[in-house]
Amino acid sequence: MRRELRAEWTKARTAPGTAWLLSAVVVLSAAASAAVAATVSCTAGGCDQDVPRLGLAGIQAGQAAVAVLAVFAVTGEYGTGMIATTFAAMPRRGRVLAAKAAVLTGLTLAAGTVAVLASVLAARLILPGNGFTAAGGHPPPSLADGPTLGAAAGTVLYLALIALFSLGAATAVRDSATAAGVVCGVLYVLPLIPRMVADPGWRRLLWQATPANAGLAVQTTTHLDDLPLGPWEGLGVAAAWAAAALLGAWLLVRTRDVRA
Amino acid sequence: MRAAIEVIGLRKRYGRTVALDGMSFTVLPGRVTGFVGPNGAGKSTTMRVILGLDAADEGSALIGGRPYRSLRAPLCQVGALLDAAALQPSRTARNHLLWLAHSQGLGARRVDEVIEQVGLGAVARRRAGGFSLGMRQRLGIAAALLGDPPVLLLDEPVNGLDPEGVVWIRGLLRSLAAEGRAVLVSSHLMSEMQDMADHLVVAGRGRVVEDTSVADLIAAASDGRVTLRTTARTEAMEALARAGATVAVQDRDTLTVSGLEAGRIVALLGANDVPFSEVAAHRASLEEAYMELTRDAVEFRATTPRDGTATS
Amino acid sequence: MTDPSTAMTDPTTGGRDGFPHLVRAEWTKFRTVRGWVAGMTLAVVLVVALGLLSAAGSHASCGMGGVETACTLTTGPGGEAVSDRFFFVHRRLDGDGSITVRVDSMTGQIRLPDASPGVRNVVAGVVPWAKAGIMVKDGVREGASYAAVMVTARHGVRMQHDFTEDVAGGSGGVSPGSPRWLRLTRSGGTLTGYESVDGRRWTVVGTARPAHLPATVEAGMFVASPGDLTVSRGDLGGASVQVRFTEATAVLDQVRVEGRAGGTWSHDDVGVAYEADGRTPHHPGRFTESGGAFAITGVGDVAPSVDGVRVESTLSGLVAGLVAVIVVAVLFVSAEHRRGLFRTTALAAPRRGRAFAAKAVVVGAVAFAAGLTAAALTVPLGARVLRANGNAVLPVSTFTELRVVAGVAALTAAVAVLALACGALVRRGAAAVTVVAGLVVVPHILATASVLPLSVARWLLRLTPAAGFAVQQSVPEYAQVLGYYSPQGGYYPLPPLAGLAVLCGYAALAAVLAAVRIRKGDA
Repeated sequence: MRRELRAEWTKARTAPGTAWLLSAVVVLSAAASAAVAATVSCTAGGCDQDVPRLGLAGIQAGQAAVAVLAVFAVTGEYGTGMIATTFAAMPRRGRVLAAKAAVLTGLTLAAGTVAVLASVLAARLILPGNGFTAAGGHPPPSLADGPTLGAAAGTVLYLALIALFSLGAATAVRDSATAAGVVCGVLYVLPLIPRMVADPGWRRLLWQATPANAGLAVQTTTHLDDLPLGPWEGLGVAAAWAAAALLGAWLLVRTRDVRA
Repeated sequence: MRAAIEVIGLRKRYGRTVALDGMSFTVLPGRVTGFVGPNGAGKSTTMRVILGLDAADEGSALIGGRPYRSLRAPLCQVGALLDAAALQPSRTARNHLLWLAHSQGLGARRVDEVIEQVGLGAVARRRAGGFSLGMRQRLGIAAALLGDPPVLLLDEPVNGLDPEGVVWIRGLLRSLAAEGRAVLVSSHLMSEMQDMADHLVVAGRGRVVEDTSVADLIAAASDGRVTLRTTARTEAMEALARAGATVAVQDRDTLTVSGLEAGRIVALLGANDVPFSEVAAHRASLEEAYMELTRDAVEFRATTPRDGTATS
Repeated sequence: MTDPSTAMTDPTTGGRDGFPHLVRAEWTKFRTVRGWVAGMTLAVVLVVALGLLSAAGSHASCGMGGVETACTLTTGPGGEAVSDRFFFVHRRLDGDGSITVRVDSMTGQIRLPDASPGVRNVVAGVVPWAKAGIMVKDGVREGASYAAVMVTARHGVRMQHDFTEDVAGGSGGVSPGSPRWLRLTRSGGTLTGYESVDGRRWTVVGTARPAHLPATVEAGMFVASPGDLTVSRGDLGGASVQVRFTEATAVLDQVRVEGRAGGTWSHDDVGVAYEADGRTPHHPGRFTESGGAFAITGVGDVAPSVDGVRVESTLSGLVAGLVAVIVVAVLFVSAEHRRGLFRTTALAAPRRGRAFAAKAVVVGAVAFAAGLTAAALTVPLGARVLRANGNAVLPVSTFTELRVVAGVAALTAAVAVLALACGALVRRGAAAVTVVAGLVVVPHILATASVLPLSVARWLLRLTPAAGFAVQQSVPEYAQVLGYYSPQGGYYPLPPLAGLAVLCGYAALAAVLAAVRIRKGDA
C-alpha cells in the first residue's frame, strides 16, 4: 500500500491541474461566502439568520471544485488511456483506488480547511457592516463559539466526503464529462427532488436521503428542531453515499477490463 | 529453460465477437519473439490479458509461472509498452516515470538512468503532451525498462518511428535479448520482424497459426527450391536427376531444382565438372511466408494450403 | 468528401465545403453516437417525468360551505386570475354620467401574528394598499369589468381598471382635515378619473377603456383592504408566507351622481366568503349612512391574483434535464479533442471556426428540439394533472403558454451552445460540465431553493446565465399587489425576454471566444 500511496501522491503532485483546483476550492468558497455576506442585512425588523451557516454558504460553490478535482483524478487517466499503465504497474486495483482516495482526502481536507477559514474570515469582516454585530445580538461567526467550530469542522469533513463520492462515481462512469454531470446532478439537482414531493413523509425521507441536503445540515446552528435530522447524522448520510460510491467503484474496477 | 511467458488456451469474447479462440504459446528468455498477425488477430488482447488488464473467459497467462496480478513489483518483472500515446499530456516525461518508479518502490535515480538510456535526457522536464510520436515511443520504452525487468512486452513499438528510430529499437531489443531477457514484440507487419526477431508466433483469428523460428519459417515457405544458372543445361540435369532431384527447365540457361539443398547441388556439379554461374536457394521473403500463413487464418476457409505464394 | 478534387476546393468559393454541408456532417456525427442521442432523450424524459411527478404529488382542495371542492379561480375580463372582493355601495347608471365623492378618512384594523397562541392579536391600522373610492362596474359579479379611482393608504391616488391596469395619481393619503375629492366620468366607453383637494380645482388621474362596459352599469363607492403579508422562515430552507385579515373603514360624503341614475343606493359585499354553515359571511363588510355621509368597511382586494399554482411549476425537472444537455453538448466537442478526431474534422473543413459554428448550430437545434418537446409535453399535461388534483392553476393566455414553451426550448438551446463553447474553451470534459452547471444550474437552484437571502437570490438571477430561467415566468409581478415576489415563488428579477437575453449574451460571448481559440490554436 505504501508504494501505491507514494505513486498516487507523485501523480497528484505533478498534475498541474491539482494546484489550480485546490486554489479554486478556496477562492470559490471564500468569494461566494463573501458575496452572500455582502448581500444579507440584519435589519431591525428581522434578522432570523443562521449566521455561521451564512458564513459557510460559499462551500456550495467550492464543492464543485472539489468534485472536479476528484473526477479528474480518475477520468484524467481513463481519458488518456494511462489507466492501463497504472494498473499494469499496480495490479492490485483496490489498493490503487484506496491510495487515490487517501491522497484525495488529504488534499481536500487541507484545501477545505483553508476554504472554511477564509469563508469565516470573509463573513467576519463583512457581516458587521450589514448589521450583524455582537451589540445587536447577532455576532459575526467566530470559531471560538462551539457550534460554529462544529459547523466549520463538519463542513471540511463534508467536502472530503463529496470528494470521495465523486471519486467513486467517476471511477464507475470513467468518462469525464458524464462523471461531472452525475456529480453535479447529485450535488445540485437531487436536493430539489424533496421539494417536488407533496407528501410530508416522503419529503422528509427524501431530504434525509440526499447527500447535499443532509450533509450540509452540519452547518446548521439554529432552528435545529426544524431539520429532519441532526447535523452529524446528516454528515453520516453523506458518508454513506461516499461509501456506496467507493464500494461500487471497487467492485467494478476489480472485475472490469481496463478499457480506455 | 523455464518459459518467461506462458499463454495457455486463452479464450475471450466481446459480445458476439471472438477475440481470443484458444491462444497458446510460450516466450523463452534470451531471444526476441515476434508476435505477428493481421489487425484483429488478438495480439493486443493477448498482451492485455498477460498484463492482467483484461480478464480472459478461459485459460491463463503466466509470467515466470505466476499470474501477473499476483506480482509484487510487476514492472521489475515485466516491462510493457502498450500505447505510447496513453499518458497525461500535462505531466513532464520525468514526472511520468517518477510516479511509475514510486509505484515499484524505485527511486528517482533509476528514472534518470532510463531517460538517458532512451535518449530523452534533453527533454525530460518538458511536458509529454508536446512530444512527437517517436519521442513518446521512447518514453514508453523508458517506462518498460524502468524496473530492469527480465521480461519485456512491446505492442507495436516501431509504429511512428523514423528509420533511425527503427534501427535503434532493433538494436536495443536484440541487446536486451542478448542479456538473457525474454522479449515479446508484436506487429502487424512481418517485414518489421525480418532483422529483429529470432522466433515468431503468428496469430490469426484469435489463435496461433504458426509458432516457429524465423529461419524455419522462411525455409518452409521457400519449399527447398534452388535456382541454378548454367550453360551446360543437359549435363547438369542428368547429374542432378541421378542424385534424386526433380529438375525443371525455366529458360535457356536456368533450372529450378527441388529435392536437394544448395550445398549438395554445388558439390554434385563440382564432382561432375558441370560449369555453373549461380546457385541460389530460393528464399521466400518473410512477408511472403507470412501472407501465406495468415491468408488461411484470415479467410478461414478450407481450400488447399500452399497452392502458391502469389496472392493478389 | 471522397472526391479529392472537391476536397481541395477553397471553402471560400463554396462548393461541397459550404456551410450547409458542414452542418450536415456535424449532424451525422451527432446522431450516430448512441450515447449522445440517449443523453438528449434522457434530458426530455427527466423534464417530463419530474414535472409530472411533482404535478401528480400536488393535491389541493378548497372548502365551500363545509364541502370540499376543487379550488376555482375568479377570472377577470382579460382571462387572468383576479381577486374581486370589496364592499360596494352603488346605484344604477344608464349611459354617460359621472360620480363625485369626498373621502374624509380611512382607518382600519390589522390582525398580526398571534403573540400568545390562540389569542387574536388585532391592532389598529391600514395596510398600504387599502383602497377607498368610486367605481363603475359591469354589475356586481366577481371578475366583472370595471374602472375605479381611489385613495390608498400609502400609495396615493390611483386610477385602476380591469384588475391589471393601474395608474398613479397624486401622492398622500387622507386624514381628517385633509380630505380628497374623487370624480369618475363616463363618456361612451371611456372613463376619466379626476382628483381634487378642494372640490374645485380638478386634475385628471387617468383615463380607462374597460374591456366590457354595457350601457347600464353600477356606479358607487367601494372600500377594500387586502390581507397583510408576513414572510417567515419555512422548513427545509423555504419561506412561508402568511396572509392575515385586515379591514379598512372609510368615510365618504358629498356624494353626487350626475346622469341618468336609477334606483336607490344598494350595497353588496362582493366576493364575500362564507363560514362552514354556508350562510354566515366570513369577515363581512358593512356600511352605515347618516346625513349623506357613508362609513363603509371593506375587506379584500380588487386586483390581479397571484394566489394559485403557476403552469411553469410543472417545469421543476428542467434543471435536471439541463444537466444532461450540458453533458451531451460538452461531449460533442470534447470527445473530438480527446480522440484526436478534431484533426480529422480540421482536415475535412480547414476553416475551423466554421466547423465550430456548424457544431453550435447542430447542438443548438437538437437542444431546442429537446427543450421544445419536453416543455410542450410537460406544461399542458402537468397543468391538466394539477387541475385534476384540485389545484387552482393560474390561467394564462395561449400566447403566454406558447412563450413559456418556446422560451424553455430557447433556454435549452442557449445552454447547449454555452456548454459546447465552454467544452471547446476548456477541453476537459469534467471542468467544462462543472463550469456550465455552475453558471446556469447552480445559481438557479441556489436562488430558488436554498436558504440564501432574497437579495442574493435576486442578484444571482440578474447577473448569471441563470437569468435565462426568467423566460418561463408566466404570471408577472404586479406593482399594485403586495406579494412575496421571490425567485422561490417563481418571480424573477428580470422580465422573461431580458433574462433570456442575458443567457444568450453569455452563450454568444463564449461561442466567440471558443471560435477564436479554435481558429488560433492547433488542432
